Amino acid sequence: MFARARRGLLVPGMEVGAIIAIALAVPLLPLPDPTAMDVAARLSPPSALHLLGQDEYGRDVLSRILWGARTSLFVASLAAAAAGLAGTLLGLLGGYFRGLVELVTLRFAEIILCFPPLLLALLVVTLMGPGAATLVVALVFLYAPGFARVCFAETLAVRELDFVTAQEALGARANRILGRTILPNVAPTLLVQFSLTVAAALVLESGLSFLGLGVVPPAPSWGLMIRGARSTMEQAPWLLLWPCLALSGTVIALNVLCDRLRDVFDPHAGRVGTGWLSKRAPAQAEATAQAAGKPSLLRVDGLTIEYGAVRLVRDVSLRIAPGETVAVVGESGSGKTLTALALLGLLPSSVRLCAGRLVFTDRDGCMRDLTCLAEAGLRKLRGSEIGMVFQDPTASLNPVHRVGNQVAETIRAHNSLSRSAAARRAIALLREVGLPDAQKRARSFPHELSGGQRQRALIAAAIANEPRLLIADEPTTALDVTIQAQILDLLTALKTRSRRLGMLFVTHNLAVVAEIADRVCVMYAGEIVEEGPAREVLYQPRHPYTAALIASVPEGGAGRLAAIPGVVPLPSALPSGCAFAPRCRHAGPQCTAAAPPLATIATGRTSRCIKWREIS
Amino acid sequence: MLRYVVRRICVAAGLVFVVATLVFLAIHLIPGDPAELLLSQGGVAPDPATVAELREKLGLDAPLLDQYVNYLAALLHGNLGSSLIDDHLVAAEIALRLPRTLELIIAAAVLAILFGLPGGTLAALHVGSPGDRLASAAAGISLSIPVFVVGTVAILLFAQKLRWVPAGGYVPFERDALGHLLVLAMPAGSIALGLAAIIFRMTRTSVLEVATRDYVRAARARGIAPVRIVLNHVLRNALLPVITVLALHLGSLLGGTVLVEYVFNWPGLSGYLVRAVELRDYPEVTGIVLVISILFVLLNLAVDLTYAVLDPRVRHA
Repeated sequence: MFARARRGLLVPGMEVGAIIAIALAVPLLPLPDPTAMDVAARLSPPSALHLLGQDEYGRDVLSRILWGARTSLFVASLAAAAAGLAGTLLGLLGGYFRGLVELVTLRFAEIILCFPPLLLALLVVTLMGPGAATLVVALVFLYAPGFARVCFAETLAVRELDFVTAQEALGARANRILGRTILPNVAPTLLVQFSLTVAAALVLESGLSFLGLGVVPPAPSWGLMIRGARSTMEQAPWLLLWPCLALSGTVIALNVLCDRLRDVFDPHAGRVGTGWLSKRAPAQAEATAQAAGKPSLLRVDGLTIEYGAVRLVRDVSLRIAPGETVAVVGESGSGKTLTALALLGLLPSSVRLCAGRLVFTDRDGCMRDLTCLAEAGLRKLRGSEIGMVFQDPTASLNPVHRVGNQVAETIRAHNSLSRSAAARRAIALLREVGLPDAQKRARSFPHELSGGQRQRALIAAAIANEPRLLIADEPTTALDVTIQAQILDLLTALKTRSRRLGMLFVTHNLAVVAEIADRVCVMYAGEIVEEGPAREVLYQPRHPYTAALIASVPEGGAGRLAAIPGVVPLPSALPSGCAFAPRCRHAGPQCTAAAPPLATIATGRTSRCIKWREIS
Repeated sequence: MLRYVVRRICVAAGLVFVVATLVFLAIHLIPGDPAELLLSQGGVAPDPATVAELREKLGLDAPLLDQYVNYLAALLHGNLGSSLIDDHLVAAEIALRLPRTLELIIAAAVLAILFGLPGGTLAALHVGSPGDRLASAAAGISLSIPVFVVGTVAILLFAQKLRWVPAGGYVPFERDALGHLLVLAMPAGSIALGLAAIIFRMTRTSVLEVATRDYVRAARARGIAPVRIVLNHVLRNALLPVITVLALHLGSLLGGTVLVEYVFNWPGLSGYLVRAVELRDYPEVTGIVLVISILFVLLNLAVDLTYAVLDPRVRHA
């Protein structure tokens, strides 16, 4: 990604380099004097001697274009550099010292930014008279505040970083911190701002020259050339074309360079969230079959998810029976959330479901493989047959819509119900999930609710159409401890109310598992390492990872907490053999020899440890 | 909500006062005597008696504070002084020309929104497609071409070669509605080209950004129809930064129509300003700068209020 962004810099960088090189080399080139007139040959078309023709005074157009590049680029870069210097200084000082310095430097800059730029430039020209020097002054005046503001914002951000605080604590002087620590960090942003400013200054300079208020004739400038060519447009349209092309071409090259620079410095720029809208339906025909044998609500077989060539989730299989709650437990990065998202076809576009079947039995008893469903087919299931509750209730509610409307919207997405009927139903649902004063709360915006209330509202939306499966992805993680218990109670109450509701509960919290789950799947580094009835797994773990997880749960009266040594391996650098072996105190040579299979150790219990008998 | 509106209006009024003061200071505190500068055009030293006479006429001989108080008092009465050249009232001339400039800006903005907003949204929804690449490249180019180049080339093409529209000038709407729209088309179109590109890019970026938010995924998880997700969840939030950028550019257009008005000979406020600058007609320059700045402040006020309507969080801030 980074390398690609850098390669993108090459072409525009070379273009801008070539333009600058030409502007610098103009005095060395064998060009006619750009101001030498030859009235007899005025408006001559291009010839061998005058490659681009002659203008209304018979001056050589090519020479004027190239000398004009020199003038325009000189004025623009000088102004941008001076503005950059002044603005950076003001911004750094304002951002570092805050207080009075900020007031003087930043507020002043903001007042200048309040004026339309061309207007300000005209004001400066009025006060100082036209000419190249005035131009530079006007441009510096115009663009310094922009630099100051950008630099100020960046300085504020960098200043808060730990290493700056650390330097202050070590007693470094302010000028050293500013020069050695903060400046290098804001430099990329300033570089982008600089190339933007050169482009803008170029446009403004030529605009003012075009109006006759910039570069003074007979000095060559692109703006002046366009101004001159306007009067002879009818007879000699090419005279208009050359400076227009030169000016536009240069600005385009500069702007493209800017865009590319930004791509290089901002790795987030490439994030895409709309891929699902244009996603094509899977090629396979939809697999539907009548239930055979004991019907499970959901059966996951061999689910494998890849990011590029890296397997994030490997061969995960699990089943959920109607009315059953299955907890998926594991540390961050174990692939449990990806597994949950895959069920609804909500995987981010950067990862790919590359193998596995997700067989869901719908209301009519029809078994359908969710991996074969197109977006439209999945949409019919989402929110009606399968509800989902996310980890962060604050981010999962749309901030600009009333809470009640977001619940009602879910109802109307799957039922033909009038707006008012859906609103009434939404209020009933909010009351059902224990939101106090539901009538009034339905009219609230998300930011007016507490975190727990937001999660209740999202649960109301998830169960609005009485789903048969509820996926809860760490629903209590973002909440206060006291609220966590309330939300768990709510989910437990939902289970007892509707005996058929199956639940997939993703969590890293074993205490929660004990409270709510019937069965547990323990995931580690993208695969299931142990599975079984919740009580058995928690009281008699048969995998060292599960045992270690249980030992690390703080409990009243327990002596020391046993932390698991090491960290979860990166999915791109999995150890050979058992993925947990490097952190396992039972590990032996046979553990790293080959990847252990998931072995059935009792009815309904599996473990991926070859030494499961030794663990208890 | 009411408290928010009242506070915004108070801030706007304060800003107008600051702007008026700054314009006053710019004329009076910057080195050089306006009267002397005005009379010394052509490099000839002016006659001291004439300078003194002009100073008296401009009120420059009174103490600075008195001048300031007089200036503010006149402003409150809507009096912007009269031209140094032919004694016409500056306020009257502005009242005549301002609507024409505003018409130009509004026409350009409507055109730009009409193309930029749906274009940017579609490009974001089909990101990476040939259509998206083509539109993005076109936007990058039209963004880079200076507006007076667009205008000049448009005259060459549409007025001189194809003879579809007149090269410029102004036809009052009351006299000839169709003719009015014909002369409006090119200047408005020239401004709209760059503005549409800006709106296109901003919308595209913003839609792509908002589409990655958790609440969009949550809406998908609830089975909301894609069209509704795009319109109600993505666009509704993506519009906020677009409005900010649009307002910023509309603001800079208030003074920035200078070039277009000059190219197309459109008798608006900006052309008046350029003439005033060329002639060093101080009352005219200050009057116009003041009016434009006040409009700019009002525009920002309108944006703040629009924000409050679109984003419930702002109302309580």
